[in-house]
Amino acid sequence: MDAVLSGLATGFSVALDPFNLMLVLVGCFVGTLIGALPGLGPINGVAILLPIAYGLGFQPEAALILLAGIYYGAEYGGRISSILLNVPGDAGAVMTTLDGNPLARAGQAGRALSLSAVASFVGGTFAVILMSLFAPALAGFAVTFGPADYVALMVFAFASLASLVGKSTVKTLLGATIGLMLATIGIDANTGVPRYTFGIPDILAGIDFLIVVVGLFGMAELLTLVEQQARGTLKSLPVDRSFVTMADLAKSKWTIARSSVIGFFIGILPGTGASVASAVAYGTEKRISDTEGTFGKGDVRGLAAPEAANNAAAGGSMVPMLTLGIPGSGTTAILLGALLMFNIQPGPTMFTQRPEVAWGLVASMYIGNVALLVINLPLVGLFARMLTIPQHYLTPLIAVLAFIGIYTIVGNPHDLFMITMLGVFGWFLRKLDFSLAPIILGFVLGGLFEDNLRRALSISGGDWSILVSNWKSILLYVLALFVVVLPIWLARRARGNAMQDAESH
Amino acid sequence: MADRIFAAVLLAVTIGYAVIAFTVIRAPFQYDPLGPESWPRILSIVAILCLLYILWKPDAIGFDMTRQVWFRLGAAVVLLLAYSDLYEPLGFILSTILFGTIMALMLGAPRLRAVGFGIAAGVFGWLLCVTLMDLNLPEGALYEAVVDSFQQTEEEGAS
Repeated sequence: MDAVLSGLATGFSVALDPFNLMLVLVGCFVGTLIGALPGLGPINGVAILLPIAYGLGFQPEAALILLAGIYYGAEYGGRISSILLNVPGDAGAVMTTLDGNPLARAGQAGRALSLSAVASFVGGTFAVILMSLFAPALAGFAVTFGPADYVALMVFAFASLASLVGKSTVKTLLGATIGLMLATIGIDANTGVPRYTFGIPDILAGIDFLIVVVGLFGMAELLTLVEQQARGTLKSLPVDRSFVTMADLAKSKWTIARSSVIGFFIGILPGTGASVASAVAYGTEKRISDTEGTFGKGDVRGLAAPEAANNAAAGGSMVPMLTLGIPGSGTTAILLGALLMFNIQPGPTMFTQRPEVAWGLVASMYIGNVALLVINLPLVGLFARMLTIPQHYLTPLIAVLAFIGIYTIVGNPHDLFMITMLGVFGWFLRKLDFSLAPIILGFVLGGLFEDNLRRALSISGGDWSILVSNWKSILLYVLALFVVVLPIWLARRARGNAMQDAESH
Repeated sequence: MADRIFAAVLLAVTIGYAVIAFTVIRAPFQYDPLGPESWPRILSIVAILCLLYILWKPDAIGFDMTRQVWFRLGAAVVLLLAYSDLYEPLGFILSTILFGTIMALMLGAPRLRAVGFGIAAGVFGWLLCVTLMDLNLPEGALYEAVVDSFQQTEEEGAS
């Protein structure tokens, strides 16, 4: 407990530095703007702005605070387009449309927006508190992990990713493998042998992380926007003066509490982020509270549940990223890549070796949550107006931002071609129902995965049984198997029940 | 069908990756049991298995897009490539004005406003990024040539 308090004290002294405080506010504001734009979710926003944040030459903790603020804000802002347009900004906000949009259509947009802001605040704050309690303990435990345990952890991360993310398990697995394969390009650090470089000097050090991120997320998003734009336009509902009432909060308080817990713990699972959390929270709440069949028609509880859960998950997914070096979602994978660019190896030792970064980030999340609530309640009308920015200006602007970012960092026009081509590739992948998060996760974790596997086998002298030689790794493999088998079994059982129902009727 | 074509293309690439992993990559000497070739070998086998599964049981995904949408997407990609090609020669301001205007026009903005948007993006982008945030953006060969000629005339005048 002492360690937590002194850590928090360090963190707040970093985060309350006037410059960093300003960055938290700017990050939250920009993030909310980006999240509010239809189609642009947290992951695209962070991807497009990451190179610019890096190019500004800040201290690592300052840049990370800014990026985390953007991530957080975008998670907040996503609900605005869900509620007013019925178009989710990203996968995590899909569930918000179910009850949020009916409320807005019934002329209670203000009430829906303010209630969801409060739910997001509670979920987010709850997650940060749990995080500051758990993270140091988990980091302390993770120090005892050997290379073999890390291999097991990674297998678990990819297993939970494959079974919980995306529509098709095989495609998610393939996506992760593509990411891992991309990460093998460049000189092998252990032996100095070049792999897949084909004599091109530009990629001897590997494909630049920024190029992959901006290409696959930013540019692919741009092409998707072009495609959708050609198909029709969006209509926004007006924001009115209605506001959340005490009765609404009283009605949904247990919903918010339950969903925050669900969101946080699902967020911790490696590989699963806000989208799974909000879906599970909504489903659970529907089963528990939907006695009158009002869910989906504008029930306040149906709106509060996914919003509390996805903000709690955003906090939860930071936990494995900071303590184990294994990101909990696509967006935290990008943040992890950002840390690596600053030569900070996230992992169990980060809390002791770079406390100003780790705790500074945690403290900035406390501040960010409060700031978001304060920004969001009065300014929601301003953010809502962002929705009416025509897409034909927004789309070229994304390209301009992406180009500025990449050129500033790499300074090579050849890389501008690379991001465009990667964008085309990413657009095809999205069209074919691949999700892009596993690719970036595989790309970021590729080096770590390979290193630990090779180190483990060096320790054992080539004996593969070292991978299952202690209880930690065995437990992780069992969990991995469990995560893969459980959804299949549940689906089978549900189908079996449906068949029985059909027969008995 | 689209799934199968895509998987087939990826399979060809992956087989190439695998062939390199199994034949080309080799460390001259090593003490570790796993060399630089082992990890790519494992990955290529996993990827090939996944791809064969997709070829065997593809999802039914059609690209249900009209020719017009395809045309727009193609035009957007061509514009982006042209933008990256002209980024350094024309410099940030000019290339952004051109790209912003044409892209906005293509996506259906009114003519005058599209020009206004392009100019605003170029000029304000430059002011914000270079003057305010001190980022490094290309000035363009044209601008440099003008500056150079000025310096030359100054030098001539001085000498």
